[in-house]
Amino acid sequence: MRLALAIASFVVLIVHGVVFYDQFFYRWERHQTAYFEQARSLSKNERERAELDARSPRIEQTIVTSFGDTRVDRCTTCHIASDDPRFAGHAQPLKSHPYSAAMGDVQRNGRWERRHKFSDFGCTVCHDGQGRGLETKYSHGEDEFWPEPLTGYVTQATWRKDFAAKLKGNTYMEANCAQCHTAEDFAGTPSVNRGRKLFYAMNCYGCHKIDGMSEGTLGPDLTEAGKKFKIDYLWESIVEPRANLASSFMPKFNLAERDVRALVVFLKSRRGVNFAETSLDRYKAHVENVAVVIPPGTAGEKAGEQLITDRACTACHKLGDRDGGIAPDLSYEGLIRDNLWLMDHFTNPRSRVPDSIMPTFRFPGEDFERITAYLGTLKTPPPAMPPADTYKTLCARCHGEKGDGEGKVAWYLDPAPRDLTKVGFMNSKPRERFVASIQEGVAGTSMPSWKNALKPEQVNGVLSYVLTTFTKEPSREIKPHNVPDQNPVASSATSIQHGEAIFLERCTGCHGRKADGKGPNSLDITPKPRNLRNAAFVASVNDRRLFDGILYGVQGTAMPSWIDYGLSKNDVGDIVNFIRSINQKKGSQQNAGQ
Amino acid sequence: MPVASTNPQSHTATDEQHMPRRKVLAWLTSVGLFGSAVLSAVSNLVFIKPRATYGQPARFAIGKPDDFPSGTRISLDVKRVCIVRDGGRMAAISTTCTHLGCIVGISDTGFACPCHGSRFDQDGTVTGGPAPKPLPWFKLSLAPNGELEVDKGTMVEPGTYLNV
Repeated sequence: MRLALAIASFVVLIVHGVVFYDQFFYRWERHQTAYFEQARSLSKNERERAELDARSPRIEQTIVTSFGDTRVDRCTTCHIASDDPRFAGHAQPLKSHPYSAAMGDVQRNGRWERRHKFSDFGCTVCHDGQGRGLETKYSHGEDEFWPEPLTGYVTQATWRKDFAAKLKGNTYMEANCAQCHTAEDFAGTPSVNRGRKLFYAMNCYGCHKIDGMSEGTLGPDLTEAGKKFKIDYLWESIVEPRANLASSFMPKFNLAERDVRALVVFLKSRRGVNFAETSLDRYKAHVENVAVVIPPGTAGEKAGEQLITDRACTACHKLGDRDGGIAPDLSYEGLIRDNLWLMDHFTNPRSRVPDSIMPTFRFPGEDFERITAYLGTLKTPPPAMPPADTYKTLCARCHGEKGDGEGKVAWYLDPAPRDLTKVGFMNSKPRERFVASIQEGVAGTSMPSWKNALKPEQVNGVLSYVLTTFTKEPSREIKPHNVPDQNPVASSATSIQHGEAIFLERCTGCHGRKADGKGPNSLDITPKPRNLRNAAFVASVNDRRLFDGILYGVQGTAMPSWIDYGLSKNDVGDIVNFIRSINQKKGSQQNAGQ
Repeated sequence: MPVASTNPQSHTATDEQHMPRRKVLAWLTSVGLFGSAVLSAVSNLVFIKPRATYGQPARFAIGKPDDFPSGTRISLDVKRVCIVRDGGRMAAISTTCTHLGCIVGISDTGFACPCHGSRFDQDGTVTGGPAPKPLPWFKLSLAPNGELEVDKGTMVEPGTYLNV
């Protein structure tokens, strides 16, 4: 017992001693003492020595109020020789900060003078880290919870090992330079400038928003990316977009390491609205400045091909052997779309496919013309092959290998590709309708017209393949319903009003109050309710099909047969008039109302 | 104790051995506990006055001697110090009035306080008004990087100049 007590009391004493030593004998004190001693041996006269003797270790700090929030930088407590040129060759922490002409330091009479004086700027303005810290672990930001470790020097333990080494180097500090040096072509921040150019050249601006620079809405807002994220996260998000967020559909751009670094530095420099970049003129200049290098003398189409490569179109689309896996195949574009459609779709993708997620890119008009010209030359039809292979080559990208409408890119298409295995739908429609959909395409959707790419017998072959392989059940005997070919109710203001009243009462649950197919029930329904504001689609559907769909429902979908719920033909006529009226252009709607 | 129970014959001998052993253990225990108590007490005393630096640093750089031409008296209001240069001699004089702490201005005859009219001569000696003490002089030194450093933590005798 006594022995145990004695041992315990000694353990307590030792623990006490260790804590005492740790708390009251500071590392920085030893660094300062070492500095005083070495400076003493370096000093030239008695006065300097006397001054050094008078100094004793203390916490040195600079309070910087000029750059954002007040900073308290105690770095010079350990790095006490940082502004003492005699210590240039010493080991850290007693090494003097190097002078560099790139940072604006000048040499006068053989003596360097700093442009950014430490007494005015402090240290963390450029270097980051925790200015108040007095222990290496905390002041250098090695602690994983500190948002800004010493930029370019310290990598935190939680960072991914495979690229942590790439996150070192002075380059990263340019992000901090750019906080004050906002000029676009500032010579001191080449990586930021390069990153800014890449932000446009690689089409990042199409999806991401940075206040004053871009308005993309598909991806996260990057206005404050530098404030929110550490460089390892930025690097990871560019190199492997799905590593952190599995649902991300950002394409993999396979950039060179140098370009990734430039983008990381650029993004790290985004910490809120940058007033030097908010003007619209500057924004426009940006976009127009991003010139793609086209070898002189290249014809329009060749230039278009070059543009597609340089503008990273294949980060989403498929062309040749490059495939972004997000957007449709462009290999037969010359056959399935005409040049007018392409140009309209470039200037505003929503003008042709109202729910398309393709960003509106702001290339110069002539670039669009060149790309269109090139895509227009892609007129080689697919070789003759068995229907199964034709399906795999042309249809499977959207409709899926199994015909279930879950192809590689289906998730990004709206309206979604038809599920060809849904028997209720597939065997309640006449064969002619499917042939028409394949040959003429479906307006307002991503389904193109295949009539130039496929011969009629090929279309028939693919259709038979689909019906036998995916739908599996033979077509039902289809009795034509008793519906009028033309809307018997004349379009008038009262008719439209009545149609709207019925629509609001009966249809909004699925089709939504805006008739955009996003009603509250739409979340649980596949296929999704139609967007009835898709003007191109609505225009392509005749009155007979609308009457049929509303009165007798659409088999294989959630659309019920409204004749069972007491809608008369006249009511449906009013609804059809209402749907037609909301898809008319303003001018013609006024005419209809009169 | 196990030793005592296994050796009943040499009872007296072990008892004699026990006494010093117990004493040693008791002594060790008390040293341990007392040492801990002393360390705690010392720690608490140290914590009463922690090692800390408050506010703006007392020692700061103000630029090269060339920035201050001969014969000038430049008042740095933010730092509350007036840099005097006379030929090769330089000094730093406080510009905080010793009366109620206003910033004194430079006048033809020296310094003048705008608040209550205290007047000081060129060396900071009181010549009029309510100020009870002369303006203190701070230590001015030349740092290794060639910049002047004022140390407001160290006062020097008025009339002490730095030769540059």
